[in-house]
Amino acid sequence: MATAFADQLRSLSDDALGALIQLRPDLVVPVPSDVSALAVRAQSRGSVARCLDGLDEFTLAVLDAARLSRAEDSALTSVAAILALAPAADPEDVRVAVGRLRARFLLHGPEEALQVVGAVDEVTSPYPAGLGRPADYLDAQAAALCADKAKLRRTVLAAPPGARAVLDRLAAGPPVGTLGSGGSVAEPVRWLIDNHILVPVSDAGRAPRADGELVELPREVGLLLRRDSGPLGALRPFPPAPEGQVRDPKSVDSAGAGQVMEAVRTTESLLEALAVEPAAVLKTGGLGVRDLKRLARAVGLEEPATALLLEVAHAAGLLGESDVAGTGRGVSTSRATGTADEIFLPTGTYDLWRALSTAQRWSALATAWLAMTRQPGLVGQRDDRDRPINALAPDAERAGAPQARREVLAALAGMPPGTAPRADDVLALLAWQAPRRARGREQAHRDALTGAAMLGLTGLGALTSYGRLLESDDDEPGGDPLGTGPGGERLPGASEPVRALDALLPAPVDHVLVQADLSVVVPGPPEPELAAELDVVAELESAGGASVHRVTAASVRRALDVGYAATDLHALFRRRSRTPIPQALTYLIDDAARKHGGLRAGSAGSYVRSDDEALVAEVLADKRLGHAALRRLAPTVLVSPLQLARLLGSLRDAGFAPVAEDSAGAAVLSRPKARRAPSRTPVSARLAEPAGPLLAGPRLAGVVEQIRRGDIATRAARRAPVTVRAANGQSVPGLTSVQAHTQAMAVLQQAVREKARVWVGYVDAHGATLSRLVRPVSLSAGYLRAEDERTETLHTFALHRVTAAVLEE
Amino acid sequence: MSGGPLIVQSDKTLLLEVDHPDAQACRMAIAPFAELERSPEHVHTYRLTPLGLWNARAAGHDAESVVDSLIKFSRYPVPHALLVDVADTMDRYGRLQLANDPTHGLVLRGLDKIVLVEVAKSKKLAGMLGARIDDETIVVHPSERGRLKQALLKLGWPAEDLAGYVDGEAHEIDLAEDGWTLRSYQQEAVDGFWAGGSGVVVLPCGAGKTLVGAAAMATAKATTLILVTNTVAGRQWKRELVARTSLTEDEIGEYSGERKEIRPVTIATYQVLTSRRGGAFTHLDLFGARDWGLVIYDEVHLLPAPIFRFTADLQARRRLGLTATLVREDGREGDVFSLIGPKRYDAPWKDIEAQGWIAPAECTEVRVTLTDAERMTYAVTDAEERYRVAATARTKLPVVRALVEKHAGEQTLVIGGYIDQLHELGEYLDAPIVQGSTTNKERERLFDEFRAGTLRTLVISKVGNFSIDLPEAAVAIQVSGTFGSRQEEAQRLGRVLRPKADGRQAHFYTVVSRDTIDTEYAAHRQRFLAEQGYAYTIVDADDVLGPPLPQID
Repeated sequence: MATAFADQLRSLSDDALGALIQLRPDLVVPVPSDVSALAVRAQSRGSVARCLDGLDEFTLAVLDAARLSRAEDSALTSVAAILALAPAADPEDVRVAVGRLRARFLLHGPEEALQVVGAVDEVTSPYPAGLGRPADYLDAQAAALCADKAKLRRTVLAAPPGARAVLDRLAAGPPVGTLGSGGSVAEPVRWLIDNHILVPVSDAGRAPRADGELVELPREVGLLLRRDSGPLGALRPFPPAPEGQVRDPKSVDSAGAGQVMEAVRTTESLLEALAVEPAAVLKTGGLGVRDLKRLARAVGLEEPATALLLEVAHAAGLLGESDVAGTGRGVSTSRATGTADEIFLPTGTYDLWRALSTAQRWSALATAWLAMTRQPGLVGQRDDRDRPINALAPDAERAGAPQARREVLAALAGMPPGTAPRADDVLALLAWQAPRRARGREQAHRDALTGAAMLGLTGLGALTSYGRLLESDDDEPGGDPLGTGPGGERLPGASEPVRALDALLPAPVDHVLVQADLSVVVPGPPEPELAAELDVVAELESAGGASVHRVTAASVRRALDVGYAATDLHALFRRRSRTPIPQALTYLIDDAARKHGGLRAGSAGSYVRSDDEALVAEVLADKRLGHAALRRLAPTVLVSPLQLARLLGSLRDAGFAPVAEDSAGAAVLSRPKARRAPSRTPVSARLAEPAGPLLAGPRLAGVVEQIRRGDIATRAARRAPVTVRAANGQSVPGLTSVQAHTQAMAVLQQAVREKARVWVGYVDAHGATLSRLVRPVSLSAGYLRAEDERTETLHTFALHRVTAAVLEE
Repeated sequence: MSGGPLIVQSDKTLLLEVDHPDAQACRMAIAPFAELERSPEHVHTYRLTPLGLWNARAAGHDAESVVDSLIKFSRYPVPHALLVDVADTMDRYGRLQLANDPTHGLVLRGLDKIVLVEVAKSKKLAGMLGARIDDETIVVHPSERGRLKQALLKLGWPAEDLAGYVDGEAHEIDLAEDGWTLRSYQQEAVDGFWAGGSGVVVLPCGAGKTLVGAAAMATAKATTLILVTNTVAGRQWKRELVARTSLTEDEIGEYSGERKEIRPVTIATYQVLTSRRGGAFTHLDLFGARDWGLVIYDEVHLLPAPIFRFTADLQARRRLGLTATLVREDGREGDVFSLIGPKRYDAPWKDIEAQGWIAPAECTEVRVTLTDAERMTYAVTDAEERYRVAATARTKLPVVRALVEKHAGEQTLVIGGYIDQLHELGEYLDAPIVQGSTTNKERERLFDEFRAGTLRTLVISKVGNFSIDLPEAAVAIQVSGTFGSRQEEAQRLGRVLRPKADGRQAHFYTVVSRDTIDTEYAAHRQRFLAEQGYAYTIVDADDVLGPPLPQID
């Protein structure tokens, strides 16, 4: 079979083969060695499943028809047979669908002898088109019933209403149902089984179920019940048309652009809020619920929206984790998590991002959102273990999220401009376009719609013009659907959506309106430079399309602190304001400037003060005190960086008579203190002492004896036999070390018996070799116990350390 | 981008650029649903609040029209989320209605059953609701009508009060328009009030609030209870009513500390109503003494808390609130909304001034530099005494005299908050003093003289803050105030805002001590007026005191 398949492939023209590869690009990753290999791969389960995933509902239904219409003997089908199963559909539509399947080689062979690739049966439902298996395969009695068409119809028509409802449900597919557990069978089902309309099956081609039996509706009965809609059930050759308002594309763009400004602005305030009070990274990763709540409150958003923007900012590289240590002291982490090792902070990229135009900033966010493998909608929900999923936590990672977003955007882009479909309609459309893929991804698709609205890709529910451009832009690397090629690194500034969005966004303004209530209104988005200036000199009161700032005494002081002079501030407002500067502002700045620096604080090592101004002046003028770097704070006060003691010394040296003061201002009196070394015992005292206590009597004798014995031992040690000395460290000449050891044991045993003294050579715990003259006492358990007569101690030698033993001669 | 005059902010403020050609049209469009918060010279700030949106809904505007006006006049794209929020908020009003059921009396009717179920479960409404009649109707105890509205507002489901009003005891009242007519905005205010049934009219001082009250009485043609701040203000009302309506002196009663008259039109002071004996309010009977058809609250923003409680029981009577500002220092704007009624008319001061009804005023802050001795005293004063020391600095006296002399020949009020200082000023300027302890008789005499022009300069204490009509005061000099009270400043400015016979410029001076807390409080007080578009000029005391420039003819 594979050969026939391969032959068909081989006979294709280059163009046709190219077309197949284009439709199923995974066939050539990696490039197969020959056509046979290509054929094997094209029939493999993985490739077939991948191919099926991309097919729409109608094409899959036609494929089911092909499976159903296979002849029992040859397993072949034909276009005609397929058409027969779909009488309700336009034959042309069916032919097109068959063409699609043949182009993908899911069906192959000539029109009249089509063959379904074997792997299709393996990767799809065992019940094609939701129909059960033929009755004669299932049960003889059921087969008999089905054979008699008239009887079958009568029986079905006679079904009581409850049974009829069961039948209708099974007929719509899947054709298998579970019986209630515990053996009790509902009355309608019992009736159907008794009449052989339903066949109990224990094993429907899948693992048998422990909790109960299954019932299957035979194919013939299913076909009978479907006689109104056709054997394949209701067919939808075309995608469902979404209901929903059609909006003016202009208002869509306008609403979207409004949302874009909002999204960019709130992202910025979020990150600013994080910069001011960083949030700790949880042990399990992610951002704590309380921090999320705090941030949501700070920017006035709902928590899910806040989580979305945080995720996007993180994906765009604007938000990152940093070591607490790296931030230095003074950065307070939020409560209760002060011990965390890592905190979330805006990154360096954030500063670059801030300098971009709104459209560029949006583009950075939107592309990050498209590509991020995260599903922010999961944040706040509970995971399998019923633990809440935190923002930025690993739990919200979903590899399929980018694909889901692309599908949703593509679906929206496929509609005429301005169409605002309901979310359910979009999901229905996606379910038609690729049913196998859409199943189980409804949540991801809904999230994608929410995200698109939040980021302003859609406005009033419809895709915006720039969103459409972003979507098609995103398709550009479409030649690389597997995502194996290098990611499309595009400059954010140059892309088309940015240009389109730029035209929609209000132009940045470089001027302000200053009013008598000290409010400063920027009638539009401020230029970055203006924004930076206002950041310093005024407090933000209200943001949005425009921004309202208020100049306060505190904000002016802040500006003065960072180095603005009053004249700079006046000039700044004159330059930026389109309206005359109100007098109140002029006065405020002047008042603040006058008071600014009115108090000075600093640090000094010591001070000199005197009520006598002339004396202070004299001290200041004294050249000999130059090294004290005295500075006059007031006519009566000088300060110096020197420590008090040194300053006092210098002043005294220069002939002044200073008195030290303590912190309370009281005079500190001190006598001159001569320098002294630590006390020690005088030498003369030691000389005067008698030469030690006089020794006499037994003690003296003991000392003498000790000396003598030591002397003897030393001499004896010098006389240690050559064999013992030599054995220390090297083998005794003529003997192997084993023989030497054996011989030493023999000597020791003899010495124990004879209570004779022996020279023992051994290796001590430090590896040093020693020899000692001892009298062995015992020899057991691997140890030699012996007494050293010289020191009158009992020694214990490990036998394996003993290298030699020689009897004293 | 439409290039419109309006900028919609994310925090639900609306910035209106007043110099824009469409600004007037835009103002008309957004005024029904947005509350004017600030109106400085270039950009006015409106705010979208639930109260404002519900006000608009009460007046028959729907969400669609609100959204339309926002989009139409907005310069920049309006965020989608904000529009959705506006629509949602407006939708909450009127889901619940208070109505009169022919058989069950006062009922709460839910047009949305779920909302009715939700609020009925709320603990805050416990005891106010009676038996449930059907899915959509619950009986309300008539006595709880006011408190129920208060509670529902707090729950965010304001009820529409369709239960109507009693007509009250009829009493013929007509305006006596001989040689004068109601100004157009006064008529609009009365019409707005009458159409709404109950509510507040916001007009600046001097814009003729008394006449709005009189016109409302003439429309109601029923016995009226007028609540005013003090006796002098009450006499003022009486004088005005006798002059401007068909009412005679005998028909108007005064209910105050001195007299307890109850007549078809009775003027009572807040003070007498809130006075207690043995913990009980002794003059509550007044509210039930007659079948009042209309209750007028003068200076609603000063309405004392107990009066709110009495008002909760008066929900079946028409209520008219008059004020220059809805800003309450205690933040009880919501109670004004639910108990007296929504705002029915509001006009920015500057607009009325532009129409020529209020004398244009020039506001000047004169900064005096304290002497070194005074500075030293100030520097070592305890925090709580600092304002008094700064505000009552003797250095201010020559400046005040210089100002008085500068405006010699014009009616001048010198206003202060500290009695000692006022006495000093009185001696220094040789002018009589009106203070709390001055008898009403003496006050009347002084005011009459001042009105007649025989008395040029008058020193008044805080008693002058409210409701004393001094039509020809052209100059007000404020030397000290109640810390940073914003509405006090507005009231005092109001003293000189009444139209002058010859259209002269009015002057409002504030004398403050430089570099003290006095300057800070002054700035805080002035902010309110700056937001109303009155820019202050700041001058140095030396410029006031300096030698007069040689006259060159």
